[in-house]
Amino acid sequence: MKEFILYTGCTTPVRLPAYERAVEVVLEKLGVKLTTMKDANCCGAQYIESVNHVAYSAMSGRILAIAESMDMDILAICGACSGSLKHVKHELDNNKELRNEVNDILEEEGLKYTGTVEVKHLLQIFREDIGYDAIKSAVVNPYKDVRLAAHYGCHVTRPEEIVHVDDAENPTIIDRIIEAVGGIPVDYTGKTRCCGGPLLAMDEEVANAIGRDKIENIRAENADGIVTACVFCDIQLTQVQFGEGSNDKPKIPVITLPQFLGPAIGIDFNSLGIHLNKISPEAILEAH
Amino acid sequence: MTDQTKTESPINHAPSSGFAKEIEQEPGGEGIMKCIQCGMCTASCMVASMTERYRPRKLIQKILLGKREEVLTSELPWLCMTCKLCEERCQEDVDLSQIFTAVREIAAREGYVPPVFQNTIEKVLEDGWMLNDAYTDFEEDDRSDLGLDPDLGWNNEFTKKIKKRYFKGGDAK
Repeated sequence: MKEFILYTGCTTPVRLPAYERAVEVVLEKLGVKLTTMKDANCCGAQYIESVNHVAYSAMSGRILAIAESMDMDILAICGACSGSLKHVKHELDNNKELRNEVNDILEEEGLKYTGTVEVKHLLQIFREDIGYDAIKSAVVNPYKDVRLAAHYGCHVTRPEEIVHVDDAENPTIIDRIIEAVGGIPVDYTGKTRCCGGPLLAMDEEVANAIGRDKIENIRAENADGIVTACVFCDIQLTQVQFGEGSNDKPKIPVITLPQFLGPAIGIDFNSLGIHLNKISPEAILEAH
Repeated sequence: MTDQTKTESPINHAPSSGFAKEIEQEPGGEGIMKCIQCGMCTASCMVASMTERYRPRKLIQKILLGKREEVLTSELPWLCMTCKLCEERCQEDVDLSQIFTAVREIAAREGYVPPVFQNTIEKVLEDGWMLNDAYTDFEEDDRSDLGLDPDLGWNNEFTKKIKKRYFKGGDAK
């Protein structure tokens, strides 16, 4: 059985715990064991990243070093975290001066970065460690006549030469999983565009206009739901469908990839926290 | 046709400061000189498509022209979502989000950090993570119901150490 250390990031455990739980139960069913990293810190994405490059490298570097001390590769389920950890790993592997500086701080608590662990985003676990064929064989309850739009998340797939997750201009992992469990993956205008989430702090109105633009592009293809692989994207694409500026059209359920995959491989809704989804995806998940 | 070329002084295209060279020396800023101002970045940018305030090509142009104060004191470098769609499409491998991050870092050293960023930076350095204030009994119950550990066990000693070492007095400097 393959084993990874799960770095949850700041947001998932608080804002989307059902995603965290669904990752655990779905991966376990598909033969991947997880241990949750404790005593961790924020990866530093966006905020510390913007103001101090060395501090940011130390924060992500510490997470990499904790994984090293436990001798396990990291699973990240948030686009910002996986992006940061991969980016900082790339820098620490190629910049000796930076690595020495980071190790100097880590030394005080007996940690050291040497570069022995890999960072994987959830999508890589599905493609590389489990595989589409194994997912297909695990299906006991295939979907039928349900149309899903995949949203990959910017920091999950870009920059391709550093994150190595999928083809950045034409990503297919989520689409292939939708297909593997009997769903119909639908393409739409601006599939690789941002959800708008990273702009919420600076300009909520523009951030939400970007998110709503995506929702309307997806609606134009008559999709029944949206499948995500990043906590921020999932929350953003959900919340833009409520409140000021949202329209009266029916809301399109947004669901994380493991929550969508779960019912097809025989996992019950409760274990996947489906009841916590703000826009009920039950109509989709019952389409068998 | 009037003969204007004889009476007008020649246009000076030389940058007004060494700002672009300065950014070139920062981590992430290395590629700035490769920009050919084609505008693929602005054409790809979702922020630019929704607001006239932000045009990534123009921001790069301002940097190349040496408009140091104007760029460092404006909100523009902070409006990039770092979605990297432009970078994926740039023919010259100019990493715009990385360049704007280098600009932000210089701005931070000189005290120009938007308040929303500053607030979150201080929280993260103090708490060790972003959502300490948002984690209430309500969320703890949800976690327990799902069979997840309600004790998230974040470490704040390390970020406090980071704060002391890299942020004098908690300022983003």
